[in-house]
Amino acid sequence: MRYRADLHIHSCLSPCADLQMSPSSIVSRASSLGISVLGLTDHNTCRNLPAFDSCCRKAGIMPVHGIEVTTREEIHVLCFFADMPAALRFGKFIESLLPDVPNAPDLLGDQVYVDEHERIIGEIDKSLYSASELNFDQLFDEVQGYNGMFIPAHIDRSAFSVTSQLGFLPEMTYTAVEAVRIPCRVDTYGNTVITNSDAHFLADIGSRSWSCEHEAMDYQALKHILETDRLTR
Amino acid sequence: MKLSYLTDTLSYKALWKADNDQSVQQAYTSDLLSDVMGNAPEDSLLITIQGHKNTVAVASLAGMKGILLCNNRAAPDEMLDAAAREGISVFSTTDDQFSASYKIAKGLGLV
Repeated sequence: MRYRADLHIHSCLSPCADLQMSPSSIVSRASSLGISVLGLTDHNTCRNLPAFDSCCRKAGIMPVHGIEVTTREEIHVLCFFADMPAALRFGKFIESLLPDVPNAPDLLGDQVYVDEHERIIGEIDKSLYSASELNFDQLFDEVQGYNGMFIPAHIDRSAFSVTSQLGFLPEMTYTAVEAVRIPCRVDTYGNTVITNSDAHFLADIGSRSWSCEHEAMDYQALKHILETDRLTR
Repeated sequence: MKLSYLTDTLSYKALWKADNDQSVQQAYTSDLLSDVMGNAPEDSLLITIQGHKNTVAVASLAGMKGILLCNNRAAPDEMLDAAAREGISVFSTTDDQFSASYKIAKGLGLV
């Protein structure tokens, strides 16, 4: 069976994302586009995952429970976990490593988390725009400890990427790396390269995506497909 | 130090300038916006190479009055739009952060 995946999407909880990006709207849009494997990756938090998980299941989409962590060097990394409890634990851990700088919604945007019916449950006070205390290598180790997937985000972009912050991609084995443009101009040392939308608005979902062929899809299968570069070109 | 010191004395370019010539008491040099957000002093000038609309948001959050882009880094239109909205002046120079910091420290009477 062929699967179409978009693993990098921001919900209304990310300060920079549109308030229309509720988990339910994201899932209906993805569903209408034929996306069957969908990742939610808010900045430094996982609090919209419960609503996302339940909307995905109703729509017959495989949810991939993720977070986009800002490292101390301000490198963005997509991290994914086998199930929601693990992701929620990790999200709580990352939130605890953010400095106590309050969000300013007027300047940076709202940080609201919602239920599956788009009702606001709460708001995160700390600015999610901050960087966590973990550096790139420490984050890598933490994610390994969770058997998570570690995917440096938009490595070919001029802001918040390994290349903008460090000047190069450290030569390591990643689950995969994400690039905005394929073929990727950055040396990726044989790591699998994927592209995702990094959608902040509903219209952007699926604007970049990737595909693979597999019998039955679950987290372990997805991880294996990425690690072994079994994408459909 | 008046922000006009940057254009009048140092011959830096003003990319967007607030109507009133604001004064700053200090400056802060950093390229990590999360660092600026947590540590930059109020009423100061940000010396950076980060030409991004979020630079304006973070400077505004920190109560800063101006941004100086070093190494001739470009300011995208959306950054200048944000600067106009927030009333934060944006300047540019071919100087690097070290040279610009030194010249501005002189303007502030710190060296």
